[in-house]
Order: sequence, then C-alpha cells, then structure tokens
Amino acid sequence: MKLNNSPLMKASWLFIGALFLVFMFVPLGKMLMLSFNVADGLGLSHYVDIISSNDFRQVMLNSFFVAIVSAMSATFLAFILAYTVHWTNLPKGFKQTIKLASLFPMLLPTVTYGFAIIYTFGKQGLLTKMMGFQLFEDIYGFYGMWLGYTIYTLPIAFLLLNNTFQYLDKKFVIVSELMGDSRLRQIDMTVIRPLIGTFAAAIIQCFFLAFTDFGIPASIGGQYKVIATELYTQILGASPSFEKGSVVALFMLIPSVLSILLLWYVARFNVRYDSVEHFDLPTSKVKDRILGVLSSGILISLLFVFAVIFIIPWIKTWPYEMAFSTDTFTKVIESLNLMRVYKNSLIVATLTAVFGTIITYVAALIYERSGLFKIGKLTIESSALVTNTVPGMVIGIAYLMVFSGSSISNTIFIIVISNIIHYFSTPYLMSKNALSKMNLGWETTASLLGDSWLQSLRRIVVPNSIFTLIEVASYFFISAMVSISAVIFISGAKTMVLTTKIVELQHFARFDEIFILSLMVLLTNITALIFFAVVRYLYTRSINGTTKIKVKKPTVTTVA
Amino acid sequence: MNLFKTIITGLTCGVLVAGCGSQSSGDTAGEEVIIYSNADEEAVEVIQEVLDEAGFEGQYIFQSFGTGELGGRLLAEGKNIEADMVTMSSFYIESAQAKNPMFKALAFTANPQIATPNYYAPILSFTGAILLNTKEMEANNLPVPTSAKDLANPIYKNQISMVDPNGSSTGWLFVQDIAAEYGTDAEGQQIMNAIRENAGPNLELSGSGPLKKVMAGEVPIGFGLRHQAVANKAKGLPIDFVDPSEGNYTLTESVAVIDKGEKTNPKAMKMAELIVTKARPGLLEIYPNIVYDGETVAAENQIDNSKTYPEPLTAELLDEHRAFFHGE
Repeated sequence: MKLNNSPLMKASWLFIGALFLVFMFVPLGKMLMLSFNVADGLGLSHYVDIISSNDFRQVMLNSFFVAIVSAMSATFLAFILAYTVHWTNLPKGFKQTIKLASLFPMLLPTVTYGFAIIYTFGKQGLLTKMMGFQLFEDIYGFYGMWLGYTIYTLPIAFLLLNNTFQYLDKKFVIVSELMGDSRLRQIDMTVIRPLIGTFAAAIIQCFFLAFTDFGIPASIGGQYKVIATELYTQILGASPSFEKGSVVALFMLIPSVLSILLLWYVARFNVRYDSVEHFDLPTSKVKDRILGVLSSGILISLLFVFAVIFIIPWIKTWPYEMAFSTDTFTKVIESLNLMRVYKNSLIVATLTAVFGTIITYVAALIYERSGLFKIGKLTIESSALVTNTVPGMVIGIAYLMVFSGSSISNTIFIIVISNIIHYFSTPYLMSKNALSKMNLGWETTASLLGDSWLQSLRRIVVPNSIFTLIEVASYFFISAMVSISAVIFISGAKTMVLTTKIVELQHFARFDEIFILSLMVLLTNITALIFFAVVRYLYTRSINGTTKIKVKKPTVTTVA
Repeated sequence: MNLFKTIITGLTCGVLVAGCGSQSSGDTAGEEVIIYSNADEEAVEVIQEVLDEAGFEGQYIFQSFGTGELGGRLLAEGKNIEADMVTMSSFYIESAQAKNPMFKALAFTANPQIATPNYYAPILSFTGAILLNTKEMEANNLPVPTSAKDLANPIYKNQISMVDPNGSSTGWLFVQDIAAEYGTDAEGQQIMNAIRENAGPNLELSGSGPLKKVMAGEVPIGFGLRHQAVANKAKGLPIDFVDPSEGNYTLTESVAVIDKGEKTNPKAMKMAELIVTKARPGLLEIYPNIVYDGETVAAENQIDNSKTYPEPLTAELLDEHRAFFHGE
C-alpha cells in the first residue's frame, strides 16, 4: 500500500516542478524561440542557412563519425576488461585493480586528456621521447579525438558491461561444454548474445557522451571541426549569433534524443535469469594469461596517457630544460586567484552533491513511494528523461540567453543549478531503483505500529537507501568537479571553477599550470571518494549486529 | 524535527544563501573591479604590478580571454557583461560600442598619436612575425622563409603553424600582410589557400598557438607574436624570428570602462587611468611600438618595416578577411 499525500509531499512536488520549469523548460523554450528570430519577425532563415552550408554538413559528419568510431573502440576494450574480470580465474586483486583503474578517467575533466595526449604522443611528448619516434602522426584532429573519446567513454562502457556480466549465468557455460559446443559457439551463446542489449546500450551511451563533449575537441581538435566546437564558435566566437547558435544547439539535441529512444528500445534485449550462481568457471591457464596480458596492456596504455600530468609540472621548461623545479608549483599555490578558483570548485561540487542528492531523492520518493496523482508522477518522470537528453553545452547556452544580466548571472547558484539539472537523470534513476526494490509493505507495517509516514521514512526508508544516497552524492560531487560543458558559458570572473580556468590557461599555453590544476581536481576527487568510503564503512559498522537489507547495486550508469 | 521539514528548510536556506552570496548589494564601492582582458600574459603582469603599486592590490579580479571569445562576449552581452572594465583590441571596442553603446566616456585625457574616440585609450600596440625553431629547421633541412608569401611554398607542407583569424586577431595580422600586398582577388587568394593548406592540422585558434607548437618542436615554423619570439630567443631557447618582407602590420589594444549606470564601480575609471599613465613604460618594453608622443624604443627592438593597413580596421573588415583566409 502506498501512503496518502501529505501536504509536504505536494509541496515538494511543486518545488521540484518549479525548478524544472524555471531552470530547464523556460531556457530551452527561449532558445527555441531565438532560433526562429530573424530581422523582421519569425522565420526559418537561420535553419536554411545552416542546413545548406557545406561546412555545417561536414561538421555533423565529422561529429557522427568520430563519436561512433570511439564508442565502438571504447566498448570493445571495455568488453575485454569486463570479460577478464568475470570469466577468468585470475587473482582477485588483479580483478579489483581492473575495476578501479578503468574508472580512473572519470576523475579528470576531458579537457585534461586532450592536453595529456599532446604531451604524451606529440613530437616532443613523453612517449615519443622514450621511444625515440612518434607513434602516431597527426594527433591534432581525428586521431587525437578518437583516442581522447575512447579514454573518456571507456569507464561508462565498462560500468555497463561489468554490471550485466554480474547477472550472466555461468551454468550455461557448463551446459555448453557438456553439449560439446565449439569454443566460438560457446562464447557466442553464453556471452555475446546475452550481452547484445548491453553492447548496444554501451555504444549508444558512449556515442552520446563523445558527440556532446566539449573538452576534448577544444584541446586537441585542430582543424577537425565537430558540433561542440561549432556551437561554441557560434555563441562566443569572433562574430557571435545567439540565433544561429540556437539552431546548432537544437541540432545537437537530435542525436541525443535519438540515443535515448534507442536506449529505451535496446533495454528489451537485456537477458534475465531467474537465479544467478556465482562460481568460478573451469578455464584454461593459457586463456587466463592472454586475457591478463591484454587487460594489463589496455590499462597501462590508459594510465600512461595521464603520467605527464604528474611529471610536467615539476620540469623547468618541457622539453628543452629538463631539470627538476618546484617553481611552477609554488607559483600556482601562491597565486591568490587560483586558490579562489579552487575554493569555488569545492563549494560548487559540495553544494551540487548536497542539494542534488536531496532533490533527486525527493523526486524518486515522490515517484516510487507516494500516492501522488498520476500527472504529478508523470511530470517528474518525463522531466528526468528530458534532462537526460539535453547536453551540458545546451543547458549552459540556454542559461546564458535567459539569465544574462539577471541577478543570478555569474553566481555560484546558477552553476550549482545547472549541474543539478545537467546530471539529474542518473542519480534519479539510481535512487528510484533502490527505492523500488524495497518492500512496499514497510510503510504499512510502520503505520500499523503507530508511526507516521515521515517517521517510517526516517526510520526505515532512508536508512535502507543510505548506500545509494552516498553513491548519488559522490556521483554529483565528481561530476561537478570535472564538468566543463555547461559551466564554460555561465561562470564569471568571481565564480570561475578549475575546469574553466584550465580552458583559460590554454590561451597562454601554460601547460604546467594546466596539469597542476588537473592534479588538484584529481586529488580532490580521490579525497572525496575516500571520504564517502569512510562514511559507508562507519555506517556499516554502526548497523553491524542488526540485519542489513541488501539493496542491489543500481543498474544505471552515467549520462554526462 | 522531522526529516522533510529539515530537507525543505535546508534547501530553501541553501538556495537563498548560494543565490545571494555573490550578488552585489547595491554598494559597489567596496566591490572588486572585474577586468576582462584579451592581453597576453606578460602585459597582464605589467598591468597588475602597476595596479598593485597604486594600492589596488586585492581590489580587482583579472579575467583573461582569447580575443575572439572576449569579442563575442562584448557583442553578445553588451552592458549585461560581468566586467567593469576591459582591455581589448581597439577595433572590437569600437564595433561593440557601435552595436550597443556600453562604454563610459573616459574621465581623463589620453593623447595617442593616432586619434581615438573618447571612450577608450590605447595601452599597447603589437605586431606579428614569422617564428622559427632553429633546431627543428636544421633537423628538417628547411630554407628560412623571408616573406609571408614564402610560406605558400609546398616545401613547408605540415611544417608551419598559423593562427586562424576566427579565433584570434594575431591571425589577422598575417592576413593583412597578404591582403595588402597581393590583394584579396585571385592572386592573394591562391597564396592564402596554399598557406592555409600548408598549415593543415596546425591551424590554431589561439594567438599563442603557433608559438606553443614551435616551442614544443611540433612544427619548425609558425606565425605569431613578434615580442614573444624576442623574449624566448633572449632566454637562450632555440627560437628565432623573421620580419616578413611584406611588412609588419600592427593592432592596438585599449582600455575602456563599462557604463553600468549607477552600478558603475568608481574604482574602474581610476584603474583605467592608471593603466594608461603608469603601465606604458613597462608595456613599451614588451611591445616596442610607439603609441604616445615622447616614447622611444631601443634600436635593436625597432621594426624596420612597420606598416598600417590602408583601410580602417573594423569587425566588419575582419569578417571579410576571415572569409578570405578560409577561401570562402
């Protein structure tokens, strides 16, 4: 039984509804209006201009091509890693390392990868210096972006595949073995087929992320123009036009909407087993070793790209004065402006985590555990879906158009709101998932025992979703720390955050400082993760002795 | 205290606090002056030193942008811009004022050699040059170019880095060289196209992009800011420069104060005056182009073939030249 609507529930619904209306639908609507704005009223001429331009068609083609290629390579590499984790008898520690290392890129902003790639693979890059020749030529443009997007989207593909692998039933391998299937057929039947839905989901998700990312093309795109750089140029380039920018932004929405629809469609291919047994498979040592080497190779290459971030800041002038020096580091630490920027980043990430968690949790509560009227629930659910389709850049641009000159422009507040709206979908689904798995009878039992709904919420529901809450908060925190696409348009001089400062430093080619800021982002994120782990540990210890109700790991991952 | 009340109260308070935190409270005198600038790092340093010496330390925030980006912000945001004061390419200041009057008349007099409108005062003038990485030139066995036109030679395919005028006015300095000397018709266009294609993947949106690539050894040749090459050569790095035989064109950057009506920060005008009167000697050392009467430049820094583009520089002319650069 679900509970009656308390006035508080309605008030929360109203609050969240208003939030979406003011900070998403109105800005998007304004953007749509602007796209029709022509000199003498309304018209389609901006659309016609842009669609008929060869340049723009090329930009769209480039974007599609590089995003699809990267999505496929990321998914393929992630598959090897996930397969190694679940289908081999390699040591537990090794598997744990794979899980952690493959998520590492999520802790850094994408703009950092671009610069890291330049200083690793460039003519004077670290790797080039070590090997004595350049591994890839032409890192500026397609190849650099391919590499960057692959690194960027690999964690997401891994999360999705790793999650599905947990639910694959290994009994079928034994059955297949007994039936005398060939190796190929065995892999096809027991692994590939059950994973088809997840493969599709991973590719679509990675495509979406690559297609809408701004950091990588901004740092290493060169002449290979993609829609994100085109959008930026239209809005804040040498001769800006909000109207044309709106049209380009709407074009960016099309693939986003399509990918969400596709994700919906492929969800039906997810295989469900009644029960899953976890045991180690009889597997050959040779196969294990090959996979071990392959996975290590992937991870080492992945992590090597980031090595320069740790090295360059300590060198006098790369690559001509290779002496150790702490000058850059001291300069950055002493610079008041950068410390202010760091403080802003921390405030933004903390506020995003706190309010983001509360808002998404309340939204999920309304949907899953209240008797709110149908339309009420539907509005929340569909708003969440819309946030999923709107890329960060589009949100940022829409905010710039609507709130420029208003009292909230250039405030921390608008950055926090844009982060919450931008990243709303995943945490909402995580919370919803956790809440839906709890027995609906709890509140009823509690009310029979004389507890009010709020009391049962406090005593039962919240404590049982505490792990999800921690996960949501850490997702919001890290996303806010690395986010760039939305903030680049709305952060002001007083509200600069680390990522936007990195883009600014690029104008001066101050790579050593860029890498120091990246390190600050990284260390902050790691500290945050440790903090959340400690909270989790303390909580687990405090409930030790009572029966813990196990909440399944959420099956959803990120859409940034 | 029940949970929801806590949540909702906390939420509302938090939103209010965060919302009001960085808003102006009407009294602008105590506020920091926000300076938006497209100036290079070294110019920013000079300006900050002057402001700090005058006792303004901690009373301003310097925010840097690429020229294209700051130009975009000026044109798009007008008076709504966050900045109280800008230092920016003069032609952009003029175009922004024409589109949407947003600058205050200066409260002090500056008398530059070339007359300017009353809402801005030039603070520096800079020029471009062909930059070389001498080590890479040797390694690749390339002839040293002497003119802008030389860069169209197919021998320099993928060996040069250029600035796209879409992103930075440094790129425009180069386009002026070609446009003034060879015209924007067939001959000039052919040269321009060849150079752009030679640059290929090394076409940069940022003015310091080519220098960055030449310094990192990614390409042996680039077109960038002359004074930066001078400075790096002096440091003993394998960097050299060539003044193109077509001449060195110049652009000026100026300071202007945003007119925010009653909200105009009074300190902004004082700082603008300081920059014009006190920062010039330091800036002249870095950018050895004379802007005001009575200034002198050391012989070795003098540019022999300094030129001025025959037409007035405007954002519209830049648009034409950007199209010319891209062969459109």
